[in-house]
Amino acid sequence: MNLSDYYAITPLVFLVCWAIFLLLVDLWIPAGRKGITALLSAAGLLIALVLVLRSGEQVLTAFEGSVVVDGFSVFLSVLFLVSALAGIALAHDYLQRLGLERGEYYPLLLISTSGMMLMTYAYDLIEVFLALELLSIPLYILAGFSRLNLESEEASLKYFLLGAFSSGFVLYGVGLVFAATGYTDFPGIAKAAQNGSLNPTLFLIGAGLVLTGFGFKSALVPFHMWSPDVYQGAPSPVTAFMSVGAKAAGFAALLRVFVVVFPGMSVNLTPLLWALAALTMFVGNIVALVQSNIKRLLAYSSIAHSGYLLMAFVPYGNASVRSDAIAGMLFYLAAYCLTTFGAWAVVIALEKAEGKGLELEDYAGLGHRYPFLAATMTIFLLSFTGVPLTLGFWGKFYLFSTAVEGGFWQLALIGLLTSLISAYYYLRVVVIMYMRPGTPQVQRNFWPLLTSGVGALAVVILGIAPGVLLNLAVSALLKGL
Amino acid sequence: MTIMQIIFLITASVTLFAALMVVSTRKMMHAAMWLILVLFGVTITFALLETRFFAIVQLVIYIGAIAILIIFAVMLTRRSMNADVPQVNRNWWLVMVSSLALFVGLVTVMSVWEGFFVTARTAPPGGENLVQLGTALVDPNGFVLPFEVASLVLLAAMVGAIYVAAERKEK
Amino acid sequence: MLSDWLYVGIFLVIATFLPFVAITLAGILGPKKPNRLKSTIYECGIETVGETWVQFRAQYYIFALVFVVFDVETVLLYPWAVAYNQLGLFAVAEAVLFVLILFAALVYAWRKGALRWF
Repeated sequence: MNLSDYYAITPLVFLVCWAIFLLLVDLWIPAGRKGITALLSAAGLLIALVLVLRSGEQVLTAFEGSVVVDGFSVFLSVLFLVSALAGIALAHDYLQRLGLERGEYYPLLLISTSGMMLMTYAYDLIEVFLALELLSIPLYILAGFSRLNLESEEASLKYFLLGAFSSGFVLYGVGLVFAATGYTDFPGIAKAAQNGSLNPTLFLIGAGLVLTGFGFKSALVPFHMWSPDVYQGAPSPVTAFMSVGAKAAGFAALLRVFVVVFPGMSVNLTPLLWALAALTMFVGNIVALVQSNIKRLLAYSSIAHSGYLLMAFVPYGNASVRSDAIAGMLFYLAAYCLTTFGAWAVVIALEKAEGKGLELEDYAGLGHRYPFLAATMTIFLLSFTGVPLTLGFWGKFYLFSTAVEGGFWQLALIGLLTSLISAYYYLRVVVIMYMRPGTPQVQRNFWPLLTSGVGALAVVILGIAPGVLLNLAVSALLKGL
Repeated sequence: MTIMQIIFLITASVTLFAALMVVSTRKMMHAAMWLILVLFGVTITFALLETRFFAIVQLVIYIGAIAILIIFAVMLTRRSMNADVPQVNRNWWLVMVSSLALFVGLVTVMSVWEGFFVTARTAPPGGENLVQLGTALVDPNGFVLPFEVASLVLLAAMVGAIYVAAERKEK
Repeated sequence: MLSDWLYVGIFLVIATFLPFVAITLAGILGPKKPNRLKSTIYECGIETVGETWVQFRAQYYIFALVFVVFDVETVLLYPWAVAYNQLGLFAVAEAVLFVLILFAALVYAWRKGALRWF
C-alpha cells in the first residue's frame, strides 16, 4: 500500500467520511433543528474546499494511475464544492418553508458532490462509471425530495428511469471499449489506440454509446427529454444544484474521456458532435421561447447552454485548439455556475408552496417592489444572454472563438443566431419585472439573498475583469496535454 | 452440433421467448414470473460459459434478491392483475422499427469483426480464478477504489430508497 | 468440466419432475366428487373477502430492498473471502471499511424504523 495514493484524494476521502458522519449524526438531531446538519455540511464542504486548494497545480497520480489529480480536476472540484455550498444555502430555508425539512438532504448532496469530484479524478473507465452512479443516485432521490408532491415524484421517477437507461449506455460502451482494447484505464486504451492493436468498429460503437450516456447527463438534444419535467418538478435548490453539478460532471467526463481516450476517433465523431451541438442550441433556445413557467424556462435555457459548451468541444481532435477549447469550456462552466445559482436564488425567493409563484406573471412589479432582487435577476439574465461586459459574454466569446479557430465558423454562427433568439425570452422576464405592474411576494431570507447578491457581484466584477478567471481556466490543464 | 450447442440453443430460445412474454403479458405479476425465467436462462448461459461465480451471482442477486424485490414492488401496485390500460401508445411501431434497425445495424457493423464468428471462449476448467479476483478487489494497485466506491453507491441507494419508500410514522 | 453442472441439471430436472408427478398422479388417482363448497378458493380455511390482489404494505418492499443491498455486499465480499489467506492486513482493513460503510446504511435503516414491521 502507498500512503501517497490516499494523500492525492484526501478531499474526496474527507468529503465521503464527512457525508457518512453527517448521515449518522443527523439521525439523532431532532426534527425542526436540521439547521445544525446544514451548518455541519457547509463546514465539511469548506474544509474539503481548503483541502482541494491545498493540492494546487501539481499533478498527482494515484492507485496505479487510475486516479489523476491535476489542474483540471482541481478547477472542477472547486466548482462542484461551491455548487454544493450554494445548494445548501438555497435549501435550508426553502425546505423548512415547504415542510420538507429532512436531514437526508445534506448527506445526499455531499455524496453526490463526491461523485462529481471522483468523476474529475477518474482515469479509468470503471471509475468513470462508478462516479457517474455515485453522483446520479443521490440526485434521483433529491429530485423526488418533496415526497408527497406528485410533480416531484414524477420528476424523480423520470430522472431515475432515464438516468438508469443512460447509465446502461455508458456501461455497454465501457464494455465494448474494453472488448476492443483489453483495457479500461485511459493510458492503456490510449496506447492500444495508438498501436492500432484494437478493433476499430467495437471501439467506435463503444465511444458512441459512452457519448450517448454523457449526453443524457448533460441534457444534450436529443437526450434532453427528461430535463424540463425534472427541473420543474424537483425542489428548486435541487434543480439549481443538478443543472450546474450534473451538467458540469457530464462535461468533465466528456472532456477527460474523449480528449485522453478517444482523440483518434475525432474524425468519426466530429460530425456527430457538430450535429448534437447545433441541435441542442436550436431546440433549447426555440422551445424556451414559449415557456411561461420560470423553472421550465431556465430548464430549456440550461439545455441551450449545454449546446454552447458542446460547440467548443467539437474541434477537440485538433491538437492546436484543444487546450483553448478546454479553457473556454471551464471558463463557461464557472460563469454558468455563478449565473445559474444567482438566478435560482431569485426564483427560490419568489417561490411559494405547491408550485405557486413560478409563473412569469408573478415577476411583474418586482423592479419597483424589490429593486435589489430585480437588479440581480437582470444581471443574471443579461449574463445568460451574453450581453457584452457581462461574464456570460466573455464565456460565449471564448467558446465561439474556439469554434472559429477550429474551423467551425458555421457553428459559431448558429451560436450567435440562437443567442439572439435567447435574448427574446431572457429580456421578456426583465420587461415583465420592470414594465408590468404587480405585487410580487418575496420570502425574505438571508441565505438566498446572499447567494444572489454574491452571484451578481461575481458576475459583474468578473465581467469587467475576466482575465482572472480565464487565467485560472487556462492553467487548469489536463494531464498529458 | 454438439450437445452443448443444443443446450445453448434451447436455453437461448426459451430466454428470448420469456423476455418477449415479460413485455407483452398484460398481468404484471405474470410478467415478473416470466422475468425470473429470463434471469434463469441467463444463469444457464453463464454456466455454459463455465463461469461458476457469475452463474451463482446471477442466481443469488438477480433471482434471489432483485426478482423478489420486483415482485414486492408489483404487490405494492393497485391493479397488478387486471390492467385495463392500453399497453402500447401510438408510436409503438416507430419504436419497433427503430430498435430493429439498431439491432440489425449493430449486428451488421460488428459482423465485420473477425472475432464475431469465433466460438465463445469458456473460462478455464474449474471456473474463473476467484482468488485473483478477490486479491484484485482489495489491491491498491487494482480495484480498491472502485470497491469502496461501490460500497458508497450501495449506501446512497439504500438511504435513498428508504427515504422514498418509508412511510412517515413520525407525522 | 461441465459434469459438475450436469449434476446440477439432473437435480433440477428431478426437482421439477417430482412435484409435477405428485400433483398429476393425485389428479389422476384421486376420486373426484366436487361440490360448490369444495371448489371455493380457501386460504387457511377462511373464505377470502373481496379481491385477493390487494395492495400490500410498503414494508415488504423495504425489507426486500435492504436484502438486495446486503446481498450485493455478499457477492462483492465473496471473492475477497476466497482470497483471504493470501491477503495482507491492509486488504482486510479495506474489506472492514467496505463493511463499515454499509453498516452506516444499516444504522440509518434502523433509526428510520425501516427494519420494523409495525
